[in-house]
Amino acid sequence: MASPPTPSPARAGGETAGAVPAERIYKHGRVPGNTGIWVGIFCVLVEFLLLFGVYFVAKAHHREAFLTGPDKLLTTAGVAITLLLLTSGYCMVKAVETIRRDERRKTLGWVVGAIVLGFGYPLIKFFEIRWNVANGIDGEAGIFYTTYYYLTLNHLVHVSWGLLGLLWVAVRTALGMYSARDHGGLEAAAVYWHTTDVIWLVIFPFFYVLR
Amino acid sequence: MGHAERIWLTLVGLTLAGAWLAETGHAGWPLAFVVAGLIAFKGRMVIDHYMEMTSANTRIRRVLHAFVVVVPLLVLFSHGWSDVLRRLTTLQ
Repeated sequence: MASPPTPSPARAGGETAGAVPAERIYKHGRVPGNTGIWVGIFCVLVEFLLLFGVYFVAKAHHREAFLTGPDKLLTTAGVAITLLLLTSGYCMVKAVETIRRDERRKTLGWVVGAIVLGFGYPLIKFFEIRWNVANGIDGEAGIFYTTYYYLTLNHLVHVSWGLLGLLWVAVRTALGMYSARDHGGLEAAAVYWHTTDVIWLVIFPFFYVLR
Repeated sequence: MGHAERIWLTLVGLTLAGAWLAETGHAGWPLAFVVAGLIAFKGRMVIDHYMEMTSANTRIRRVLHAFVVVVPLLVLFSHGWSDVLRRLTTLQ
């Protein structure tokens, strides 16, 4: 993915040159986080592209089911999850901003905020699925709902990994292991977390808006 | 209000607009275009501003940008040419 590192701190975007370790500056520009996380992120993107393919094929074969399917789902739950993820993502943006200024206590506050909001997602999902099942919308309620569970639960799994990563980052932040000069782990967790945002921004309209 | 706050507010506003659209129960080409536009625009905002891709490695940036171009195009294709997609994915 990336060419061998070259020491060119001038590519650090909004950061001061001295705040970015030279090993993260590559020939084609700065790599946020670390190269390992990007391998994982690209795998996730490919995986979800395939899953979106399943959605499009199912929709092409069952137009009527996908036309009426969203009517029975709780739009409020989908909106709440979107707002939680976007706000949690904003907290991680602020966490990265503050660690670059070496404001470690503030960074911890933002990471904890991101985690608290992030845990709202599985909580809402739990109540949403309970409501669904009470209203006869389970995995066998029809092709639209099977696809809905298939994609949304898959996304929930990826969000769970992201939350575990954020918890790990919170512990390391609390232990003072990140600084303005060395915060690649925090940035890696942040970009993964934002990737789950991007994927949810596709899933949300697929099941709650598009007909 | 800082840059991050403006981006967050815009994303929240667009999400609420999408929710309003969902409640109206509209269907058809206008909705498909709006949804494709929302995916492309919101996705691009997260990629460029949350993930800071404007100042990042060009290869990574291109892959992410391509993702939020390809998916909206697939939305439009599946809406307008579902017969073609159905024919291509039917086992004879």
